[in-house]
Amino acid sequence: MRAAGNPVIEGVATDMAASQAAGEEKLAARAGRSNPFLLMPITLFFALLMLASLRSPSLMTSFGIGSAIIVVAPLMLATFALMASVIAGRVTVDLSIGPLIGFINVTLIQLHGLGIIGSPITVFLYAIAAGALYQFIFALIVIYVRVQPIIVSLSGFLALSGINLVILPRPGGLAPEFMQEWGFGITIFSPILFIVLAAIALWLLFTATAFYTHLRLMGSDERAAYTSGVPIVPVRIGAHLISGAFAGLAAICFTALISSGDPSQGTTYTLIAVTALVLGGASLAGGRAGIFGSALGALNLYLITFVLSTFNFGAVQSFVTDLAYGSILVISLLLTLLVPFIQRRIPNFSPLLYFVVFSVVSVGVILHSGFNYRGLPEVGAQIATEQVATEQLSEETAPAAISPPGPLALPAALNGPLEVGAVDAETQALRDLAGPLVLSAILLIVIAVFLRITIAEAGQRRNIGMGVGVVAAGLVLLIAWFMTQANAGSVHANPPALTTIHGAAAEDAPHEVSLQEATR
Amino acid sequence: MTDAPISAGRDTPKEHNTPLGLGARILGLVAGLILTGIGVVMGFLNDASVQIIILAAIATLTLWLWAWQYILGQFRGIATDHENDHGPGPIRQLWSTYRWPLIGLAAILALFAILSFTVPGFFSVWNVISLIILLVILVLTRVLSRQFQQNRSAFIGIMVLVGLFSIGAMNIDGFASGTNIRSMLLFAAFLGLASVGQTLVSLLGGLDLSIPFVIGGANVGLLYLISLGVPPWLAMCIVLAIGAALGVINGLLSFKLQGQALIVTLGTGFAIAGGVQIITSIGTAFSGNVFGTVPGWLSNLSSMNGTTFGLGFPPAIAIWVAVAIILIVGMRVTVYGRHLYALGVNRTSASRVMVSEIRYWVSAYALSGFFAALTGALLLGWSGGGFIGVGDQYLFLTLAAVVVGGTSLLGGQGGYGFTVIGVLVLQVLSSFLVGLGLNFQWQQFIFGLLILPMVALYARSPHIRTQV
Repeated sequence: MRAAGNPVIEGVATDMAASQAAGEEKLAARAGRSNPFLLMPITLFFALLMLASLRSPSLMTSFGIGSAIIVVAPLMLATFALMASVIAGRVTVDLSIGPLIGFINVTLIQLHGLGIIGSPITVFLYAIAAGALYQFIFALIVIYVRVQPIIVSLSGFLALSGINLVILPRPGGLAPEFMQEWGFGITIFSPILFIVLAAIALWLLFTATAFYTHLRLMGSDERAAYTSGVPIVPVRIGAHLISGAFAGLAAICFTALISSGDPSQGTTYTLIAVTALVLGGASLAGGRAGIFGSALGALNLYLITFVLSTFNFGAVQSFVTDLAYGSILVISLLLTLLVPFIQRRIPNFSPLLYFVVFSVVSVGVILHSGFNYRGLPEVGAQIATEQVATEQLSEETAPAAISPPGPLALPAALNGPLEVGAVDAETQALRDLAGPLVLSAILLIVIAVFLRITIAEAGQRRNIGMGVGVVAAGLVLLIAWFMTQANAGSVHANPPALTTIHGAAAEDAPHEVSLQEATR
Repeated sequence: MTDAPISAGRDTPKEHNTPLGLGARILGLVAGLILTGIGVVMGFLNDASVQIIILAAIATLTLWLWAWQYILGQFRGIATDHENDHGPGPIRQLWSTYRWPLIGLAAILALFAILSFTVPGFFSVWNVISLIILLVILVLTRVLSRQFQQNRSAFIGIMVLVGLFSIGAMNIDGFASGTNIRSMLLFAAFLGLASVGQTLVSLLGGLDLSIPFVIGGANVGLLYLISLGVPPWLAMCIVLAIGAALGVINGLLSFKLQGQALIVTLGTGFAIAGGVQIITSIGTAFSGNVFGTVPGWLSNLSSMNGTTFGLGFPPAIAIWVAVAIILIVGMRVTVYGRHLYALGVNRTSASRVMVSEIRYWVSAYALSGFFAALTGALLLGWSGGGFIGVGDQYLFLTLAAVVVGGTSLLGGQGGYGFTVIGVLVLQVLSSFLVGLGLNFQWQQFIFGLLILPMVALYARSPHIRTQV
């Protein structure tokens, strides 16, 4: 009341309000450090994923995902390598990334053939060191000779793709023994997946450093960075070293994929990696690129080819692939022009939330695509009789698909897919093991979403009450879960081996059965 | 042997104009004679023909004397500059001024010595003369390029061209023969026509990676149209028009996405290659392969033994020369050319004086598509069969030609004349490497290694601290 009457205090109050508004703006900017350019890759990813799983449910099996990881890993790591150097600005699109992968591949094969390197440690050390050394030279040339990076990379492209053919004139050779079975792609949890995950994790750790901030500043405005005291020489060298390490990892995954040496195959990665990078929402001018976008871009490229391969175009298959590839690339680039408009309408766009919403929808679609609708009456009958074991179910569904469905018990048919009639011990054990995992995953997602909202709110209101509430709720839920676990712990004495849990472990048995059917 | 025109462009002509002393002249003459003598003796030892020995001797002596006069004059100028102040001695001064070139020369000499001792048969007269020519060219380039601040890249390109050609002519049989020159010019014409668009687009600060795909598409599409029964001249016009239309599409699509022009054009390129192949393989059993007969005039247009109005060179070369002249002159004198440069240098100021940005951007891409289609059609005449991948090597070669020539990829600097030099350098270099017996992979390796230093000679950007 007094404040309302006193102009001075009022002035101070408005000043405070103004400063608070500025602070809010800053905080909101920090909270919304989300990248609206992820909108396009996420949308494209889920659209393609749904289409792919509808067209060919075999993608969503352990085998399908495993082979997808094997195929996509070199491309993804190559995209990461490009990303690290593109952030540094000056249009550092490293056209030589493909030949560099090929170079490490052929030298690795030749050195292994000579018996110089063979153990995993030496192979990894060699690949990463070779990539980093090349990129180090690249960075020195860019910094001290001051030629445009794209010319340096063009030069490197020609030189390396020439020397690759000299080192290994035709495809051949054998990969080191330990990586020969990596390329089979039978399970999801192949070493390749761990390489990719480790690369992503290391990059995420790196983004927490001041070095990364310097790198982004330098990429978006080198002059500003220089005048504000950013040590641009070490920063640029560092970006290239990281890029080289990623290139080395990409070469290892590539070697595992083809299990031999190939001097010209690696060269093709240049164009598709640049494409994947741009599809992932990166700016070639520098300053804007992210690991999730790059990963999604690489996955999108794989899914495009996968989806197109499910259509049968006969003789013109590869041409249609080219056409669709180019059109999707151009269209998705044109759609990024809409991003500023979207940003204006939805100022606090959260890619994470968007991702979660879309993934829920696509999980539904994937479940639908892999679901065995024809087995429904059969399942209902089984529930009614409660006789047939799940083992036999898989054998009986095949004839059931041919014979006309019997009388339908509606409630049983509706519940059937969700509750498999007779659960045998193994499935039960699997479910017991998978249940907590699924629950905790959902819990984590919920907590993440709430935290995200909380942080955004805190930016505007300066209170973290909601955060405290979320954490408290999480703790309560956790304690409750532990208590149920303590009770349920005695039910299953011997959990099955972990190797049986993969991919669709969270799903129910009929789903599993239908997936097996689909893969046949 | 007057050095008046040379010294005219120097910074302090008075100091440098002082003629050499008698002692220095005699010393130079003696050294030159000894050098020439070594060359002549070694020529006879290597059983070279007498004419060539005489020619080489005269060339060596002349070049030596000229270089002696000129370079020593330069050094004297520097020495006299610092005669009065008691700074470091002339040798040290020399060292600090010319440190890197001297180290480079020493490195080349050391490399040559090592090669002579390790590789048997390497130390022949031709290699010695090649070395001398190389050194002379390097020194000349270094010394003279100061007078060519504007067109340094063109000067260096020409020097490299002359050096490569003379070394090639001496070391490789048939290098300077009419056939080889004709074939070099023919391939240069293909590359040159393909690089027209890349040059124009680079002048605006863009890139066009769809060129190889348009070339391949035009190559296949033209043969397809001809095999359908369309009159060849009409088919050619249709293909060229479609090429230009594709260029317009490229330009329109990439105008708003100029930072990503590289990727947009790559995407349209993929789409074009796929689309053309789908169209041509509809209704045929052979996917992607088109069969047909190429009309005689088209194969005459670009085959090795084609004739232009009875003269013994294929018309493709004449077309290239005509296009080059039109472009070089046109870019200088026409409004279109001036505006293109203006836009490349500074978008904002150009649009302030009512230069339509989008019109020039789109038209540059349209020309690029047109000339790519033309290259594809000419390549059909050369090979006689349609093949979608015929342009693949031009993906990076056009870029390399533009860059080696000295057109800046950032826009505003350069021109088609530079690209012509770049194309010729690349072509002579590749012919030279083929003549040396190197296969494709070594050629590519050396290409890659040479592009960088050639560009580094003139296209170095200033340090960041000078831009603040």
